[in-house]
Order: sequence, then C-alpha cells, then structure tokens
Amino acid sequence: MVVTINPTAVSVLPLLVFLVPLAFSGLIFLLGRYGRPFRDGLALLGIAATLGISIVMAGRILGGEVLTWWNNNLYVDGLAALMELAASVMGVIVVVYSMWYFGEKTKEEEAHPFTSMTSYYGQILLFLGLMNWTCATNNIIMLYVSLEFTTLATVFLVTFHWNKQAMEAGYKYLLLVTVGVIFALLGSVLLYAAATPYLPVSRVLLLTELGTVATKIPTNIVLLAAAFLVVGFGTKAGLVPFHAWLPDAHAEAPAPVSAMLSGIVIKVGAYALARTISVFAPHYETIPLFIAILCSISMLVGMGMAMVQDDLKRMLAYSSVAQIAYVVEGLGLGSYLGIYGGLFHLLNHTVVKGLLFLSVGAIIYSAGKRSVNELSRMRLKMPITAFAFFTGIFALSGMPPFNGFASKFTLFLAVGQANLLWAAIIGIITSLFTLVCFFRAGYRIFWSEKDVSTGVPGKTSADKHAAGAEAAAAAEVPAGMWIGMVFLALTAIALGVFPGIVHPLLDNATKCILRILIGG
Amino acid sequence: MGDLITTLMACHFIASICAAEIRNLKTATGFLLLQSLLLAGIIVAFAEQSQNYSLYWWVAMTVASKVIIIPWLLFWHIRKTSNTEIKPLVSFVVSAIVLAIFLIAFYQTMHTYIGFVAPSPHAAVEPTRSSLTLAFTIFVLGLYVLVVHRDAVKIIIGLHLIENGVHLALVSLVPQLPVTTVLGVVSNVVFAALMLLWLTENIYKAFGDADTLKLSSLKR
Repeated sequence: MVVTINPTAVSVLPLLVFLVPLAFSGLIFLLGRYGRPFRDGLALLGIAATLGISIVMAGRILGGEVLTWWNNNLYVDGLAALMELAASVMGVIVVVYSMWYFGEKTKEEEAHPFTSMTSYYGQILLFLGLMNWTCATNNIIMLYVSLEFTTLATVFLVTFHWNKQAMEAGYKYLLLVTVGVIFALLGSVLLYAAATPYLPVSRVLLLTELGTVATKIPTNIVLLAAAFLVVGFGTKAGLVPFHAWLPDAHAEAPAPVSAMLSGIVIKVGAYALARTISVFAPHYETIPLFIAILCSISMLVGMGMAMVQDDLKRMLAYSSVAQIAYVVEGLGLGSYLGIYGGLFHLLNHTVVKGLLFLSVGAIIYSAGKRSVNELSRMRLKMPITAFAFFTGIFALSGMPPFNGFASKFTLFLAVGQANLLWAAIIGIITSLFTLVCFFRAGYRIFWSEKDVSTGVPGKTSADKHAAGAEAAAAAEVPAGMWIGMVFLALTAIALGVFPGIVHPLLDNATKCILRILIGG
Repeated sequence: MGDLITTLMACHFIASICAAEIRNLKTATGFLLLQSLLLAGIIVAFAEQSQNYSLYWWVAMTVASKVIIIPWLLFWHIRKTSNTEIKPLVSFVVSAIVLAIFLIAFYQTMHTYIGFVAPSPHAAVEPTRSSLTLAFTIFVLGLYVLVVHRDAVKIIIGLHLIENGVHLALVSLVPQLPVTTVLGVVSNVVFAALMLLWLTENIYKAFGDADTLKLSSLKR
C-alpha cells in the first residue's frame, strides 16, 4: 500500500475549532443568567459554529491538505478531523436534546453554580473546546494536559443532579482518571527524553515526529513508556482494569451527558492511544499482543458485568467498557486494516452509544424509571424510542446490516491477519453476549406483557402500584428529543448499508497514522 | 553542589513520608508545603548546576501552585472539617517497612539497572540517577497513600505526592521544557486539587464524613 505525503497548509482553522467553543462557553457563563434565549441561543450558535468549522476542515483534509498552525504545534489531519467532526455532531444532538430533556429548573437550582442550565451549557461548550484542542494538539505533553482538562471540564456535568450518588460518582471519576492519566504523563516524559538525542529541540515534542525515532529509542524504554501510556490513556478510555470510574459516572450523569461521556469522552483516550501506541506497535510484536490480551479481558469483563445489571444506564456503561476494547484492539495492531477497523468502530460506537443513551434518557423522561424490571409494554407508548433502541441494540451487537457489523467484521479480519485468532473469537463471543443482554432488556421493556408493579421494589403494595402507575402513564417524548435519536438510528443503518460513505475520511485518518509511523 | 542536591533530596523524601503518615492533617499539610518547597530547591540546584536558567520557570510555578495555592486550599478546607485523619487501613510501622522496601528497590534498580529505565545517557549519571530514584519512590508513595488511607484530605495529599514525583522526573529528564507546557502541566494540578476539595467538602456535608471508604453506595 502506498502512503502519500499530503502537503501541509498553515491555517487558523485548527485554532478556531477549539477557541470558538471556548469563547461561546465564556459567553454562556457571562450572559446565560439573562434568560433562556441568551443561554440556549448561545449554546446553539456556539455548537453550530464549531460544527461548521469542523465540516470546513474535514472538506479541506479530504481535498488532500493537512492543516497546521503555530509551527506545527497544532496539526489537524484526517484523524483529528474525524474526531472533531464526530464530537461536533454529537455536541449538536446533545444540546438540542437537552433543551427538552431538562424541565424548567427551580429558582434554587438555577442559582446553584452546578445545577443551573447556564452552567450546564457552559460546561458542554467548554468540554467541546478542550476536546477539539486535544485532537488538534501535536505536542506530546500538551496531549496529556488537554486530555486531563477534558476530565476536569466534565466532572460537574457528572455531578449535575448534585445528590449523594452524583457527588460520589463525580469524586471517583475525577480522582481515578486524574491518577490514571498521570501515568500517561510519565510515559510521555520517557518518550520525550528518549527522543531528545535524535531530534532538534523545536521538533522533539511533536507527536508527528514519533515515527522518525520509533526504531531508534531503546526497546526497554519503548515498552516501559507503552505500558505507562496504556495505563494512562486506557484509564480515560475505560479499559479493564482501569474502568472503575466509568459505570458510576455514566449511570449518575444526566442521560445526554452519559451519551456524551460514552460517545465522545472515552474516545479521547482511544484517540491518544492511536497517536502514540499505534506508531510503535508495528515495530514491537509485544505491544499488539499485550493490547489484545488487555482488550479481550475488557470485552469479557465489560459484557459479563453488563449482563448482571438491572439498571439500563449501568448496563450501557459496562457495555462501553467492552466496546471501547474493540476500538483499542484495532488501533493497537498498527496495521492498515486494524487502524481502519478501530477508527470505524470508534465512529460507529459514538453513533450507537449516543443513540442508546439518548433512548434510555427518553424512557427516563417519559416513565421516570431506568430499571429493566420496572418497565414493560413501552412499545405502544413510545414507538419511536422503541425503534431507536432496537436499532442501537442490533448495531451494537454487530448484526448486519447495521454499522456495527461493518466495523466489527473489519476488526475481526485485522485481528485474524495478525495471527491473533483467539482474540477474534473472544470478540465474536462478546458480540453474541451483547445481543443476548440487550435484546433481553429491550424485550422486557418494550414487549413484555408483565405487570410492572410486581417487579418494582417497594415496601408496600401501594408503593409498587404508585411506581407502576408512573411507568404506565408514559408517552412518546417531544420531537426535539426524538429527532436526534432518529437521526442517529438512520445514521447507524446508513453506515451499515453504505459503509463507503465514510471510507474517504477513515482511509485518510488511517493513512495519517501510517504516515507518522513511517516518519513522513 | 552535589552534596547540596543529595541533602535536599533526602529532606524531600523525609518530608514526603511525614506528609503521608502524620495523622494531624494541618501538620501533614505543613509537611506537604515543605516537601514542595524542597522540590523547588532541588530544581534551583539543577538550574544552577546545569546553567539552565529556564528551569526557574518551573521553580516559580512550583512555588505558586504547590507551596502557596494548594496548601492554602487544604488548610482552608481542614479548618471547616476535621483536623484528625480517619484511621488508615494499615499502621505506621507497616507503612514504614513498605516504603523502605520501595526505596531500596528503586535505589538498587537505578544504580544497577539504570540502562533499563534511563531514556538517555544524561539520565544514567548523577544527579539525574538519584533524582529518578527519588521521583519513582515519591510516585509510588503517593499511590500507596491512595490505597491505604481513607481520609479525603490524605487522598488529595497522596495525589499531590504522585504529581510531585512525576514533575521531579520531568524536570530531571527534560529540563528544556517550554514555558507554555510547564504552565499547562502545573495548572492541571491546581485545578484538579481545587475541584477535588470542592467535591470533598460537599461530600462531607452530604455524608457527614470524610471517609472515602464510605463512598460505596454505587457499588452494585
């Protein structure tokens, strides 16, 4: 395969793609208290502007350019553009969905610094800006800095409900991810120090230069640094055994935030691994093997834990632990097919997990419940949500003709090509478990004819019937909420039937990693 | 200069142990402040020895963040809560034995197998070799504090020790780091500490306790 070197073009777009959402975040914090039109209007305007910049950048990159700014310190290639575009699209859907999902807040809630909608939209835009900075930066230490800032920016979104459980989840999220990501700093420091003798000072920090020194750095240092990077960025991605923060944070955050956490935030960890580990993987056989073992454990543990959950959000959270492992496994192989499959699954998981969390959010909004045992016959009351949920389930399980099939099939081929057939078998088994786990839950929620009051925990029969009555009164959610879900469901089907739609971007992104790998 | 650096490193290690193990939280925070001040001193010594005056940026930011802001935040928090640490999971004697084992293991590794962890020839000679030993020991000490201590303030002290260990490794291995990058790394620490304290304080109000072991309502 021929990897061509694209011309770099100095452009202000890599700067704007993170400065614009950061500026809008500041404006929301400043002006949001003057009323809903200001707050919601600025959030919509900010997210739309960011999406616009991402689309323009993706267009230029597909035209064969690589965009840089500030002596290559900001560097947007196909991979960064793919991430920024996915984040911006999810951002638009999450912001629009949130406008209906959260009812009118009380005066006390609006006055509180962490439960007001002003703070909510401000933090969403803040996170998006930092996420785009992480993707645009080409500096190995700043990758750690910006990635850690994305954690800090989302902590108070996790604690948004500001109750005991939310605070506990936020505390664990902040502490565990911060500690984990420090390992990545240690790994980055080792790589930086090891690269110093081979590169001029102005280029030594650049991620795009890692390929030129990949074979010159002593093997033991590469392996040590790789271990630290996997622990650090793997914690952010939610791989087992560094995943302890993930189920709590995803479950306790509001549903749109969970969609963003699972759809975008954990992908930042996978992106950082793609920028660092994928560059070394082809030169060191141990790295793909180590990553395949770690990811296989993640798949089995993640899905095993998902199967025993009754809480829908925790079930989805644990499945994210398993699904992100597919992404990292592909990226860790370092081959064209592996990286391509990993990035394709990253994109598909963003769409599908966003869809599933928003569907669960719709159920919570309508029925006030998120426990499988407390819900039944919802298909009659929420047909659009039922369509979205089942589309998500089949796509997540890798069933044809949904998008998950295309990416998982590519990944299994790549893993087989790398002589890791056992890892492919574990991947297939995990997909079957995914189907069983979620189809069972979906059937109970939407089709089962059981009396929900019998499954509701409560001390007295009056408690049980009151809880059951709330679920029985459920109805389809407003159009502002389901429109995003339907868009994501149709995207999941379209990407499965016509995977060629995203091929140019995925191909470009994969070749960008390979170009760095060969030191271009 | 070599003797001064060795002395500063020894004091830094002792201050780290005191910050980790003393159960009076104000005193422990005082030792954390001293530990950070000694870290700044080590960086000054490095700057003077290598004539690399860009390291003074590290010193300035270390003093501002780790000697002034974070200890001040901790003192402010302790004043509102409790000054006595919740009893840790293991006794001081056990901790002392474990830490001695870590120190000896890292010392032996760095002096016998330095080639394995030194990413450059510069890192394989003194004083970098000793500072790497210290950095890894402090890093592990911080992790150890997170595992065996239950008090929320001690958890923040543990996190701080981990970060100080990594920052010492960073200064030792890559002293020519640009100012913007140093600012990014240091500001991360301050924001993380501030947010953890914020959450800790609210958890204290909600749960009536600073015992992190009691944060288990979500384990299902």
